[in-house]
Amino acid sequence: MFPIKDDNPQVATPYAVYALLALNAVAWLLLQGAGSSPALGVSICQYGFIPANVTHASNALNTPEVCGLTAGPGWLAVLSSMFMHGSWMHVIGNLWFLWIFGDNVEDAMGSLRFVIFYLLCGVVAALAQMFSNPGSTIPMVGASGAIGGVMGAYIVLYPRVKVHLLFILVFIFTTFRVPAIAMLGYWIVIQVVGGMTSTGATGGTAFWAHIGGFLAGAILIWLFKDEELLENHPFRGWRQARNPIDIWDDPDNKA
Amino acid sequence: MNQLADRCVLRSMYKSDLHSVLEIIYQHDDDDGEAAEEELNDLGLEGHHVIVDGDTVLGATGYRPVEGCDQTYYLSWTYLTESARGQGLGKRMLREAMDELANQGARKIFVKVSDYQEDGVNIYGSALAMYKSFGFKEELISQDFYDEGESQTILGYYFDAGSESDDDLQVQEEKPVIRFNGLFEIAETEGAYSFAWTVEKTKGFLNKRNFDAQDVQVGLDAVRDEGGRKVFLTFPSNLVLIHRPLQATGFKYVGRLKDYYEAGLHELHFSHDLSSW
Repeated sequence: MFPIKDDNPQVATPYAVYALLALNAVAWLLLQGAGSSPALGVSICQYGFIPANVTHASNALNTPEVCGLTAGPGWLAVLSSMFMHGSWMHVIGNLWFLWIFGDNVEDAMGSLRFVIFYLLCGVVAALAQMFSNPGSTIPMVGASGAIGGVMGAYIVLYPRVKVHLLFILVFIFTTFRVPAIAMLGYWIVIQVVGGMTSTGATGGTAFWAHIGGFLAGAILIWLFKDEELLENHPFRGWRQARNPIDIWDDPDNKA
Repeated sequence: MNQLADRCVLRSMYKSDLHSVLEIIYQHDDDDGEAAEEELNDLGLEGHHVIVDGDTVLGATGYRPVEGCDQTYYLSWTYLTESARGQGLGKRMLREAMDELANQGARKIFVKVSDYQEDGVNIYGSALAMYKSFGFKEELISQDFYDEGESQTILGYYFDAGSESDDDLQVQEEKPVIRFNGLFEIAETEGAYSFAWTVEKTKGFLNKRNFDAQDVQVGLDAVRDEGGRKVFLTFPSNLVLIHRPLQATGFKYVGRLKDYYEAGLHELHFSHDLSSW
């Protein structure tokens, strides 16, 4: 099940989304050698976020020391790790989600605010992952935390918008449409279940980063959204949005 | 055949005609005379005509393009001296001016008519009837516009009947940044005010994009302080952020001039009666 598009018209050009897509792609191709060895491993250790590196907590779960504890740029890695990825699938998957959901979230706040919002969600995501296992020595990379924030914002802004999902069953390809609340709700449930059941000892998906980013996005959007920009958005909120001009249909509002 | 009508010709209005033209308008109504004098002096005589019998000016008409609109015009001061009325001169004057506009590619023209009563007679009644017979259609009426009890009717006419739009233009681009930047008493009126507004290019990071109810209230209070009676505002129909603040401060919807700016883009009219607050 994979989202392929949403029925959410875009109002303004999403410059910030374009820039973030480009930055991630450039980082992947240039800094990470497009996933080739040894560039990939070196970049993950150099720019990935290693909780134990900054918390100096004991490695209670005995995670493997992939990079050595002196590697990485410490706290700065919270930011740099957001632009690093672990594989082609990882980078494509993340950027695809950003492409699908990011434009409408940017529409709701403007480009500059969106960049700040995105980075903040990424920071909260990294911290959430850190708190789930402060002594972890596994480097964390990926835009998923920040993009989780975008999805959290999306579910608050446009819960009813239909998202087209691609469904592949062996060799049957089909698409169907579900409301954003169902698709993104399903996604966050998977993350929570994953977070509860994974031990965190061996790496893999940073579920808590996804959850932290998602919650950060769902909360921060109340601060970041611009009601004026949302005013004419046909799919905002839970109720069928009225065209603002229809307010004058009320006989009380006529001269 | 009517001899006077045969003798008369319509020609461009010159500066030297101005005195006679204003005299005709002043005969009719002092407020109109003042407003016409100012307007004709300020904006010039282009598009204006007089109908003359030899050297004697019997009437005037004209049109002005509306800035920023696609081939939209307003009919300008159109008056006939009393002795020349009822002989088809008004109609002829209008027809010739309209033909000229049609040749220039005009799309729509509007005309404003007062319902001013003198001794119980609507002195513009025959003008209104003439416009209607010509094919002008009533689009909106602003009550108490010129003065208490004197309303303004605006009529519109499409040069090509097929150019009337079926759909409203849906504009979804980024919202313009709108700011009020002054208030003024509307020409020809007693105590009717309007706010001037501008569109700014960009909005500050934390600034508002549109005026809000408080901003509108500041304007209303200022008009009240100046002794204003009523506030009239017009906006294009594609601005989405204006409606809530206007409604919240007690503005009422008067109506719209259809396809005013271009096909599908109308001019919305709102009014606020300060005496009822």
